[in-house]
Amino acid sequence: MTNFNKIKYLAVTLLIPAVGFCQDEAVKETTSYFTNVLFLTLVGLIIVLAIVIVAFSGVFKNIADSDYLQNKFNSKKDDSNNSSIKNIVSLVLLFSSVSMMAQDAVLAKVIDDGRIGGIDQFTFYFLLFLVFVELFVLGLMFYQFNFLVKTHLTIVKAGKPIKVESKILKSLTDVVPIEEEESILLDHDYDGIKELDNNLPPWWKYGFYLTIVTGVIYLLHFHVFKTGDLQGKEYDNAIAQAKIEVDEFMKTSANNVDENTVKVLTEASDITAGKDLFIANCVACHGKGGEGTVGPNLTDEYWIHGGSIQDLFKTLKYGWVEKGMKSWKDDLSPIQMAQVSSYIRTLKGTNPPNPKAPQGDLYSEAGVAPLNDSTIIKNDSLNINIKADSVNVGKK
Amino acid sequence: MELQKFQYDNKTVKMFAYATILWGLVGMLVGLIVAIQLYLPAANLSLPYTTFGRLRPLHTNAVIFAFVGNGIFMGVYYSLQRLLKARMFSDLLSKIHFWGWQLIIVLAAATLIMGKTTGKEYAELEWPIDILITLVWVVFGWNMFGTIIRRRERHLYVAIWFYIATFVTVAMLHIVNSIEIPVSFWKSYSVYAGVQDALVQWWYGHNAVAFFLTTPYLGLMYYFLPKIAQRPVYSYRLSIVHFWALIFLYIWAGPHHLLYTAVPDWAQSLGVVFSVMLIAPSWGGMINGLLTLRGAWDRVRDDVGLKFLVVAVTAYGMATFEGPMLSLKSVSAIAHYTDWIVAHVHVGALGWNGFMTFGILYWLIPRLFQTKLYSQKLANMHFWIGTLGIVLYAVPMYWAGFMQSSMWKDFTPEGQLKWQFLDTVTKMIPFYIARSIGGALFLTGAILMTYNLIKTIKVGTFLEIEEDEAPALTSNYQSHSKEHWHRWIERKPIQLMIVSLVVVAIGGLIEFLPVFLIKSNIPTISSVKPYTPLELQGRDIYIREGCYTCHSQMIRPFRSETARYGEYSKAGEFVYDHPFQWGSKRTGPDLARIGGKYPDSWHYNHMIEPSSMAPGSIMPSYPWLLEDQLDANSTMSKIKAMIRLGVPYPAGYENIAIQDMEKQAKQITANLKKDGIETLPDREIVALIGYLQRMGTDIKVKASK
Repeated sequence: MTNFNKIKYLAVTLLIPAVGFCQDEAVKETTSYFTNVLFLTLVGLIIVLAIVIVAFSGVFKNIADSDYLQNKFNSKKDDSNNSSIKNIVSLVLLFSSVSMMAQDAVLAKVIDDGRIGGIDQFTFYFLLFLVFVELFVLGLMFYQFNFLVKTHLTIVKAGKPIKVESKILKSLTDVVPIEEEESILLDHDYDGIKELDNNLPPWWKYGFYLTIVTGVIYLLHFHVFKTGDLQGKEYDNAIAQAKIEVDEFMKTSANNVDENTVKVLTEASDITAGKDLFIANCVACHGKGGEGTVGPNLTDEYWIHGGSIQDLFKTLKYGWVEKGMKSWKDDLSPIQMAQVSSYIRTLKGTNPPNPKAPQGDLYSEAGVAPLNDSTIIKNDSLNINIKADSVNVGKK
Repeated sequence: MELQKFQYDNKTVKMFAYATILWGLVGMLVGLIVAIQLYLPAANLSLPYTTFGRLRPLHTNAVIFAFVGNGIFMGVYYSLQRLLKARMFSDLLSKIHFWGWQLIIVLAAATLIMGKTTGKEYAELEWPIDILITLVWVVFGWNMFGTIIRRRERHLYVAIWFYIATFVTVAMLHIVNSIEIPVSFWKSYSVYAGVQDALVQWWYGHNAVAFFLTTPYLGLMYYFLPKIAQRPVYSYRLSIVHFWALIFLYIWAGPHHLLYTAVPDWAQSLGVVFSVMLIAPSWGGMINGLLTLRGAWDRVRDDVGLKFLVVAVTAYGMATFEGPMLSLKSVSAIAHYTDWIVAHVHVGALGWNGFMTFGILYWLIPRLFQTKLYSQKLANMHFWIGTLGIVLYAVPMYWAGFMQSSMWKDFTPEGQLKWQFLDTVTKMIPFYIARSIGGALFLTGAILMTYNLIKTIKVGTFLEIEEDEAPALTSNYQSHSKEHWHRWIERKPIQLMIVSLVVVAIGGLIEFLPVFLIKSNIPTISSVKPYTPLELQGRDIYIREGCYTCHSQMIRPFRSETARYGEYSKAGEFVYDHPFQWGSKRTGPDLARIGGKYPDSWHYNHMIEPSSMAPGSIMPSYPWLLEDQLDANSTMSKIKAMIRLGVPYPAGYENIAIQDMEKQAKQITANLKKDGIETLPDREIVALIGYLQRMGTDIKVKASK
């Protein structure tokens, strides 16, 4: 067995259980990995690399007659060879260091609840490992390839070629051997360029037919029998599915607050979280201390759309789009919006530098100082009246 | 038979070779600059001329039409004469072709940095240059066919089939895509709008890749690879099948650039299936190239030119396999708008076109100057640095693209988007840095080559007069009965050209006609109204500054996009967009529904210093928009042009457009004043804000009613 074949079998045996394993793993998970983009891409990458490995090994077995290999075992590596190894090793190292860096970046940012991009860590690392194994195999093959080229001359001098035929390969490539190529040399001669009359490689020809059949099936599926979902339907399905998943999650979540049930949060951790979110998302328009720049001042007693916790929550959640306040409900979770709203209420009276002039209506908490306010504000009737007014103002 | 003596024209080949090297360096340098600007926006020197939005089109145009373009002509002028055993038809035409093409390049560079652009990717040049391109292209074709007619070789070699297909198809693509109505000398509007413009544009864009970057280079491969390797071409029949299959199928695949957009589903599906079918014809070229090297691999070791060619052909194989994979809708959903596409393109551009050109130059220049290459060692170094550059370029970009796309699509279990757009941008910066290092290495390699070739040229003497001899063709040719049926058309250049044209015209016609003729493909939305004069002016500023190079205007029907940007884009929303501005890359967020999302003052501040409104933003500042006065006088002719294009402004509106424009400008300045910003209503920024605030609002209005 040649080295190439060994490598090939090694790669294939490595891959088969791996792919099987991934599928098992995917079935076990509650949310299917077959909808996970990262998972699918990693598996896709693994498959593509495997195809490349197999194709590459086929191609260069083909181009490199097996006599090279016979000699390979006898020949010693000379200095020039070593330098080529160095070249390749450095290339591979470079490759992997870049990937490592990229990987670190992914890990640093995408890890959440022990999952990476929605895949559990074990599967992720396993898939990544496979990718690296395949890259390694490819690297090895590159090395072999280079070696072949380098040793060719010495071999030509050294001995006669010994043919090792592979029937499968022959039936896939249908190539006339170099020694017999005179028999298919056409009488074409263009500036010294001649042409052989090899048959179309059967793997190529049948591959071509396969793509055509695939194309026809694809069109029939989507446009004649209409058995496939087109993008509009796909979108509706995705939204419906997401709603089911989110509703399911929210049933059991402490996150289940809305503008009717929101309360002022007073825990230091909530206020800090709110502050962080405020700095990340709000300061561009409302200023570092909430003094207002493009958006209104949040530290004074005047509010355009009401200053109660419910009002603030509502403003965050739905936005006042025509006035430039965007809706944050797709960016912040309900609890996060409650945290930001609560933090904003602590800004009152902080008098930051360069305050923007008051806008909107005077809003008062009916004598209840905001910082002491740990009760539910919706019980406060005065507050509700004012809120109703300001909502009206906001609408028209 | 009597032998006729003749001389080859090497001078034109030499000139094109010089131009190739020069523009290659320029194009790559500009590429490096824009790559650096992505993490160092200040690298634009705060000049309008050197901002990303203007330099990026300069980079793409320079490498495609200047570097590769001159490379094509260099290779064609060298190989065509030898394959036909005839001197180029006319020295005068050769001269006009050469200098005309260089004039186009210089004009292109000057106008692009001035912001004179049509806003259509890879077809940015304005109408006077478009006409010039057409004329010079005709000169090229005339010269080529003149040579073919006067040939001393009965049959046309496969390389020439590719040259002929290139000539007719590029002519067709360029003319159809460039039909536009001039407004002034340096301003025009595309006659197509919205979905139609998108289809035409990507039919062009995709086939610019096919027929400018691929088919002529396949022709060059078929000449230079067997020539350098001194081996017969692997399979004549494979040449025939893959040539015709390739040119027929390629044309159809354009809509794969528009998957999940507002383009009709059936057109998208055609784009998908024809891309899948393209794998084999593309690989046919690769196989025929690589298998030609059977028994010559020892020469790959010794001949640095051949080394470059081998990597080039391999890169071609990789890119043409990846392309169809990217055309699958599920993969496109991940990769589109990200740096993945940038990586894909550069494997093709740096690997296939770059390395092929380098390989040919290393072989050709010593031959033209009758000497040996100055330094094999330097050339080998170039090979390794270049290869390393490609790897360092592509790998980070693949990672970056995939990572960013995953982040865009990430939701929390509560159903919120996990990342702000800006979060996903700041994560890209390390990758952008790595990419620019890869690009710098590639450029360094090209500089080494330039030095090496200059040294070679200095040592050698130019082979001005290269003589050859061949018998003239006789008029009574007797074909032998056993020949392949395809030999017939190889004797008939005109028929070959006509059949090629028919073959490449089919795909486009079948895809365009329904979209232009059948209304249901673009359902009308009654609330969508033409742009106001101020918005139209603002839109032209948007186009001028090349905003489309970083911002898309097409929300795809994905949950992650509608949550981030709003309702997905509908075909009927773009019917007045001459040209469409959907874009192809989201370095910044989509802008299709930016209208009304932020106050006017936000946009004003954002244009002065983007990071003041969006900390960490890598968008450059546009301070000149605040200073520069809007060219109000152009309003009338712009509205007139729009009316001619069928945009339903009331009759005679061009006469009162200016009043409307001033009124709207005053409203915006009043708005800005409320937030403490004083500006004059005649500044460009006001028009731009007008346009930005309009975008995507037409169907919001409808939704709230």
